Amino acid sequence: MKRIFLAVVVIAFVFMLAWFVALRQALLFLVGLGMGAVLAGMRFGFTTGWRKLIEQRDPSGVLAQLALLGLAAILCMPMLAAYPKDLEAALGPPSFSLIIGAFVFGAAMQVADGCGSGTLYKAGLGIPLNTAILPVFAVGSFLGSATLERWLSLGAMRPYGLVAHFGAGEALGVTLLGLIVLGALVVRWSGRSARLLDHKLLLGAVLLAVLAALNLAIAGQPWGIVYGFGLWAAKVATAAGLFDPAANHFWSEAVNMTTLRQSVFLDVTSITDIGILAGALWVALGKPRSAAKPLTGVQWTVGIVAGFLLGYSSRLAFGCNIGAMVSGISTGSVHGWIWVFMAFLGSLLGVRVRRHFAF
Amino acid sequence: MKKPLLTVIFWVALVGFFGWDWMHSAPIDVRQEPPLIAAGSGQAPSGAHCAATF
Repeated sequence: MKRIFLAVVVIAFVFMLAWFVALRQALLFLVGLGMGAVLAGMRFGFTTGWRKLIEQRDPSGVLAQLALLGLAAILCMPMLAAYPKDLEAALGPPSFSLIIGAFVFGAAMQVADGCGSGTLYKAGLGIPLNTAILPVFAVGSFLGSATLERWLSLGAMRPYGLVAHFGAGEALGVTLLGLIVLGALVVRWSGRSARLLDHKLLLGAVLLAVLAALNLAIAGQPWGIVYGFGLWAAKVATAAGLFDPAANHFWSEAVNMTTLRQSVFLDVTSITDIGILAGALWVALGKPRSAAKPLTGVQWTVGIVAGFLLGYSSRLAFGCNIGAMVSGISTGSVHGWIWVFMAFLGSLLGVRVRRHFAF
Repeated sequence: MKKPLLTVIFWVALVGFFGWDWMHSAPIDVRQEPPLIAAGSGQAPSGAHCAATF
């Protein structure tokens, strides 16, 4: 019954978007809905996959993520080469900001038990900590973007895109080779007795890769999560008179001033974020409510602080696990590889912090 | 806080935010609608992305 009600709301929202906003936005909402359903339905957790590799030497989650990256690259890179003016890669600058941001993000996501997409779909599932973290994540994301210029002044190189420099074939070859090397290292670390493949996660990887490629083809830009969060908080701060976007380097840029003025339903990142929430809610309504382990006051405090750091660091790192890792690597951005390395180092610390506070 | 209450507060706040935003944002000019599919449209993407520095 609840699912029927949600289906009616979703259909009405799709028609509203198509009629009053843009057909493209209706289509992107449906893509986001699929992403949310896959992430939540298959429990495709980036954070959990890394943690299982670190703590249990279980490589199945990380190998599924590598499969996602490879498949998405196979689909996205030829598209980027074929339509260089219509589509753009997720290019972030290699910088101190990226190094620091990715490390902090990797640590915080283990404590908060959710990355960008994880926080979103778990909030959609109704998991208490992630639900409470989402607004704090948004505030952090907004403040990170508002102070990004200062972090970039520490030192940054120009973004480097493999597809633009080498063409689709070579860029794809280098990317797949890198992923195979990473996969081999993961398998070697895990030992011979480890279960390598989880068929449910692999199916999730295939579906997410197709949806990520659809996002690129429809929106003209790769899948992202955290820009939308920062935008929502920036709108509230601006309306409350707490923030003047015209006086800020990031938000005074033309593209950001435009997104601030217009409805969030016109923003491509926000609309897929909303779709992910709705897709996860659809999954949640089809399952019996499970009793979550109650958290102590200290755990709540640590989790909320980690959520704020997630948001702040994701802007310094030019994306989260989706915007920087999935979209960065699959569209040939060097910053995606730096992100993975630094975030994994951060996760090594994060799992220990998580254990310390007995999450 | 009980889980259902937190969930209800979350969704009410989120839907309330979207409603408030819809009422206070610039009106949408549907005649300037972006292309349905960007690939092959000949138009440069106009949105912002997490990886962008601006």
